[in-house]
Amino acid sequence: MNLVFMELKAYRKSLIIWSICMVLGVYSGMVKYPTYSSDHAANDVLQQLPRTMRALFGMGSLNVSVMSGFFAFLFSYIVLAAAIHAGLLGSGIIAKEERDKTTEFLLVKPVSRTMVITAKLMAAMLQLVVLNALTLAASFLFVAAYNKGKDISVEIVLLFATMLIIQLIFLSLGAFLAARMQRSKTSGAVTASLLFGAYILGKITDLTHHLNVLNLLSPFKYFSTGALVDKQELSFTAVLLSLLLAVLLAAGAYYFYKKRDMNN
Amino acid sequence: MNVIEIHHLTKNYGKSRGITDVSLSVAEGEIFGFIGPNGSGKSTTIRTLLGLIHPASGTAAIFGKSCFEHPEIRQQLGYLPSEVFYYENMRVLDLLNYSASFYKKDCSKRIRELAAVMNLDLTKKISDLSYGNKKKVGIVQGLLHEPKLIILDEPTGGLDPLMQQKFFELIREEKRKGATVFFSSHILSEVQKLCDRVAFIKEGRILRQEKMSDLQENTYKRISIELNQETRPEIFQLEGISDLQIKNKMVKFIFKGNINQVTAMIAELDLRNLTIGEPDLEEIFLHYYEKEG
Repeated sequence: MNLVFMELKAYRKSLIIWSICMVLGVYSGMVKYPTYSSDHAANDVLQQLPRTMRALFGMGSLNVSVMSGFFAFLFSYIVLAAAIHAGLLGSGIIAKEERDKTTEFLLVKPVSRTMVITAKLMAAMLQLVVLNALTLAASFLFVAAYNKGKDISVEIVLLFATMLIIQLIFLSLGAFLAARMQRSKTSGAVTASLLFGAYILGKITDLTHHLNVLNLLSPFKYFSTGALVDKQELSFTAVLLSLLLAVLLAAGAYYFYKKRDMNN
Repeated sequence: MNVIEIHHLTKNYGKSRGITDVSLSVAEGEIFGFIGPNGSGKSTTIRTLLGLIHPASGTAAIFGKSCFEHPEIRQQLGYLPSEVFYYENMRVLDLLNYSASFYKKDCSKRIRELAAVMNLDLTKKISDLSYGNKKKVGIVQGLLHEPKLIILDEPTGGLDPLMQQKFFELIREEKRKGATVFFSSHILSEVQKLCDRVAFIKEGRILRQEKMSDLQENTYKRISIELNQETRPEIFQLEGISDLQIKNKMVKFIFKGNINQVTAMIAELDLRNLTIGEPDLEEIFLHYYEKEG
């Protein structure tokens, strides 16, 4: 427990900054909603945009003139930010001991490496939940302030549930790379590259349906935001497989961290 | 009972660094010196023993158990790394308390005691400490839980002579309390005063292990003489003289053996100047162990 507490303390500042940025992000996104919805003129223009353009903006087939569509559109950026946080946190929390050369302090204590990873992942997961919950709360608040139509509380909760799963995937990916890579210091950069790669891949598959199989490589596409806001549906299989992916990556992190030579 | 058992330990990483077939054992209550030049494999051996590095072959155990399979055995271990790095934005006391939180005992009194002896300011931030002060934090951190096995990797680097004395006194005190000490250094004289037994390591191999009492009969001195007239090499044919260099009126050599023999020989000479110093380990290796080994 001392380790969990220590990690939480070490990341306190970073979590506060991320939280503020997320809340501000939601706010600044929601402020624009009236222009999209009020006179429908903006929406008409947007509807006339070529499909590729709409896809690139992240709207796809969403109807951004109503709150559910607009929020889903905004959410695609929220989830990107949360994923970046999770990926960097996952790689950083593992790699920092070697980066700061503190392995000779921590790993000669009477704790196993398994316990070290468990404590670090627990501390990280707690941070993911806090960031998710605060962003969720901010979303409720600002949606309520601007929404004049149908209540979308269920949609919001479902969206943030998928976000938590995506956060978990990238957390595990970051931790896995930090434990696996020879030079763990660079794992943050690699995690971020993979993350952006996955994001861009998701954009590409939005443009054309021929490449949909590539969506397997992009956690951002594991959950269909469209179906979620239209039918309030969340695929149980997608949830299960995504969680399985996160667990497998985390198991890999344990495996490779135990085998690792701590050379500093 | 042997507190440390290392059998045929081999680890190669990088190109040249590593250890080959290292075997040694340290008995309970001993102070054991592990001597070798920089880069000879001292730290690699220690890191493998502590469970930081996986050996390619061989075994290493403390209290009969491997640190990989039984990390809890490290309850009894105190370790001072050769280069101390800690969480930079913590205060000294917070770091020491954090370190103490891993052990199943209350260490707060011992932390205060050790800090007082080492003259360490507990309120400072780690990032504001000098190299020597970080080393002090390392010493306190390694001893605060009163471990039964203390492993010190080049402990005196960065400490001024006064602090070194206090540190050696601390180590002797721990030994009196029954602790076993494993101590690496590249300075033989530093170890000579403290250790019961030493092992010499070079280029990743143990050259030999000796009891300090055996080694002390052989003191090593580097002697430089400046004479008033030219001299002949035959005068310096004493047994124990090695690396003899004669340049005009200057004579230099390393001497191993009874110091009275060499002073008697020097007394016969017409001297302008004389210096007697400690040869470094490299020289001892080069001129004695390599030939004999």
